[in-house]
Amino acid sequence: MTTVKEAVRLLEDKLGNKVMECKTPEPRRTYVLIKSGYHRDAISLLLETLSETGISTITGTDLGNEIELNYHIRCRGSVITIKNRVPKEKPQIMTITDLIPGATLYEREVFDLLGVIFEGHPHLERLVLSDDWPEGSYPLRKDWDPTVLEEDAPNLRGQPSVMNGGDVEGATSPVVNVVMGPQHPALHEPERFSFKIDGEVVVDVEPRLGYVHRGIEKAAERLMFFQDVYLIERICGICNAAHALCFSQAVESIGNIEIPSRARYLRTIIHELNRIHSHLLLLGVTGFELGYETLFQYVWRDREPVLDVMEMITGNRILTDFITIGGVRRDLKPETHEKIKKPMKKLKKRMKFYKNIFEEDPTLRLRTKGVGILKPSSAKKMCVVGPVARGSGISLDIRRDDAYAAYDEIPFNVITYKDCDSWARLMVRVEEVVESIDIINYALDHLPSGPYRVKVPRRQPEGESVSRVEAPRGELLHYVKSDGSAYPYRVKVRSPTLANIISFREIIRGSYIADIPAALISLDPCFSCTDRMSFVEVNNGRKWHWSLEDIKRLKKRS
Amino acid sequence: MPIDLVFFLRVLIFPGFVFLLAFSLFCDWFERKIRARMQNRMGPSYTGPAGLLQPIADYIKLLTKEDIIPAQATRLLFTVAPVLAVSLFVFTFYYIPIDGLNIIPNSSFEGDLILVLVLITIAEFTMFLSGWSSTNPYSGIGATRVLTQFLGYDIPLIVFAIGPAFLSGSLSISTIARKQTVPFVALTPWTFILFIITLQAELGKDPFDIPHAETEIVAGYVTEFSGRRLAFIEIAKDIQVVLGATLVTVLFLGGPYGPVLFGSSAVWYTFWFIVKVLAVIFLLEYVGSVAARLRIDQVVRANWRWMMPISLLVLALTIVCQPLLSPLVG
Amino acid sequence: MTNRLRLPTMIREIASSLLKRPFTRKYPKVKVDVPEGFRGRHILYPEKCISCGLCERDCPANAIELVETADKRLPVFHLDLCIFCFQCADSCPRNAIEPSTLFEMASTKKEELISKPKVLILSHKNVLKEDDKNDV
Repeated sequence: MTTVKEAVRLLEDKLGNKVMECKTPEPRRTYVLIKSGYHRDAISLLLETLSETGISTITGTDLGNEIELNYHIRCRGSVITIKNRVPKEKPQIMTITDLIPGATLYEREVFDLLGVIFEGHPHLERLVLSDDWPEGSYPLRKDWDPTVLEEDAPNLRGQPSVMNGGDVEGATSPVVNVVMGPQHPALHEPERFSFKIDGEVVVDVEPRLGYVHRGIEKAAERLMFFQDVYLIERICGICNAAHALCFSQAVESIGNIEIPSRARYLRTIIHELNRIHSHLLLLGVTGFELGYETLFQYVWRDREPVLDVMEMITGNRILTDFITIGGVRRDLKPETHEKIKKPMKKLKKRMKFYKNIFEEDPTLRLRTKGVGILKPSSAKKMCVVGPVARGSGISLDIRRDDAYAAYDEIPFNVITYKDCDSWARLMVRVEEVVESIDIINYALDHLPSGPYRVKVPRRQPEGESVSRVEAPRGELLHYVKSDGSAYPYRVKVRSPTLANIISFREIIRGSYIADIPAALISLDPCFSCTDRMSFVEVNNGRKWHWSLEDIKRLKKRS
Repeated sequence: MPIDLVFFLRVLIFPGFVFLLAFSLFCDWFERKIRARMQNRMGPSYTGPAGLLQPIADYIKLLTKEDIIPAQATRLLFTVAPVLAVSLFVFTFYYIPIDGLNIIPNSSFEGDLILVLVLITIAEFTMFLSGWSSTNPYSGIGATRVLTQFLGYDIPLIVFAIGPAFLSGSLSISTIARKQTVPFVALTPWTFILFIITLQAELGKDPFDIPHAETEIVAGYVTEFSGRRLAFIEIAKDIQVVLGATLVTVLFLGGPYGPVLFGSSAVWYTFWFIVKVLAVIFLLEYVGSVAARLRIDQVVRANWRWMMPISLLVLALTIVCQPLLSPLVG
Repeated sequence: MTNRLRLPTMIREIASSLLKRPFTRKYPKVKVDVPEGFRGRHILYPEKCISCGLCERDCPANAIELVETADKRLPVFHLDLCIFCFQCADSCPRNAIEPSTLFEMASTKKEELISKPKVLILSHKNVLKEDDKNDV
């Protein structure tokens, strides 16, 4: 089996002088700068030589005269970043969606926020910004002027990218377009899905993201590194520790900061507590979606002790603000170990009960077994991550492959199920909760003594870093680039739900309408993580002017 | 039927209209409290002692809200259907002996069981019409689902209801109730269990909760209703539940007849009636809490492939057993 | 696929729930015990403050403002902007800021959401009263 090192060397040999730069600043991270236009050769070479390759995301950075595109290709535990630069006046590049179908949404995101045109993309449209966003205004460019939005935005009640009904090949009756969202009781966050329905069967679906886009990537460039941790943590309420951890790791690798061992273990504990809380939330919500209110109430009742433990350790139930650059912010007193272990023991017993329910209960099985099948081959093509991949038998877990925090010293199992349906994805999560409880117990028993935090300078040296963690929903990737000041030059967040939402189309095609909630909830969509930008409220033609004034007023403090 | 003060009191107050409404609201509270306790939480607790006034508070709130009619809805049907639903359900109660006698004394006749079942069907149909007249795609889907489910399960329901009629040799509800010196639940337990399950489908409770499946079709057929009209539909739904439980009581549990310990028999009969109906509601809630919601195609398949043949089988079994059981029948 | 629901585990579970006390905590009738270290309302020790302004500079939400009082410049916390991360407590070189366990901060008046120094001293002694909220 070719190793990553060999593959990179092969790349250098084959492409010769087209490879302009190749560095490996830390283990399992390689950055290769390719001459403009040859990225397709590099990527197809990597796909041929290395197995289990997929794309994590595509980052676009404005470098002044050029726009740099980073293609983060993951392979087992490593990330190979293929860099490519295009001139800003003519930002065009060939698409890679024919090589890796999973890159569709990432290219659309770069197109939306930076204005890079991907030639040959099947469906190059806006992904995160609203449909009446002014043309030619790309927020992530360094020279973007927010005042351009102060004029009256065109009052476009215009048709968003909805596929109209009409005839579809193979349909038995005229196909009807049913739009679900952005407000719908089945969705926890606003999202619009346009379903093409033939009778009771779903023929196709088009998701439209961006309803909770808050401008975090842009805002992160205006705050200092240590302040950014708080901002990044608030991307998502459920997986907040994962975001903070990922970002802190990225900055620590840029600044070559070594954190103490105790901090690594404490980070692991909070990370796993986060995972338990998130999975229990999802299991309860599944019960609710499927009409099983009793299960919903029971699971959420059993989730309360987890939140109480987090409150005891970090000071808050949900937004923990515990992990920071250089370690953690508080210490864990030895008296609290027992207070953590007791609820965990109780929870472990309850998880046995829930496992029983999921395996035995006939109505649950009727609703989730055989529903939302995602074949392993499609899963690999779409580059899905997390429990969605593990439910289709693909053993992909960052904690094992690309160990971070204390995971290289803690033994645990990676749970996979071969059934490929919604039931499998839910069972993966049920068992992962039990695994997390074991990890927490092990970490508490082997907690090293010593400092829990190191002092970190405000300025970070020049550099860039890709950091990955296994968030409850899958692989979370942060790319941070620093230019030597106290403010990051670029922060890119790719949350796991964005990777998984592509597979929704595959999953739902051919299923009944009534299976939509069961299939969607098994993906565990968290749209707060997925959308991330925009201070604009230009729907309804409301004047942007007012909002900008408000923000200016809030900024003035003395 | 002498029409005098007693008649009016019976029809309007007790055990007539006012009592029925109050009882339905009480049963609503009971249902919510039981469901909450099964889910290990409190249920209504703050409005009135132990939350007893919660249903009334809900209805008063609904009455104070704006009543919107969608521009494209069929006005007449939209307005009339909820009221019709409530009226039909209430009227059906007039054939149930609540305190030992029907509300209008001596109004029972042979065949009033059929009348009651037919009225229930028509009332449910008006609920469907209310959804259909909203011209909202969600209401439309919800209304068609209600009809599919209801009409489908109506047939086994009627077939099961014939069982007790056969055992007691009469199609009059009062007679069926009176003849149960041994309640029929002990004589035909299988009919009882299956009747409960079919009733869950009729009433639209879990696992046949599809008409109210908010996670799929917003609020189903009540999506466009608000204010007064929604209050009517909610009351109709509550009375429907009580009516279903009452049907089970009179067919299987001996109706209001039970031991009269002292004093007036009417009071005791009402007491037993209330106790038995509450027990049935408890059972219905229990069955509902234990299961998730089935998909519409699974519901329909369960009906036509299983419930229908089983109902005919059970009826045949009852007919065969009837000579053996006739000595036990009062 | 049958209509007979054979669910022994869940049936037993529901029966046992009926006999248990509800899990709901009857807040506000019952006082909630908040653990030590909870990030509630800020406490300021004005005698320790040296008016360096690091808290104001480091706040990620720009929620702190240094105002002139009788003796020196003290921080004022805008609770409607604050995200309760307590970076201010970490940045303060004299440990003059601390989180308290007071969490009942909801208000219908915007003025009450500006935590002024006198209020912070009172909250430190846990005697925050309704009419104290508006004093400087």
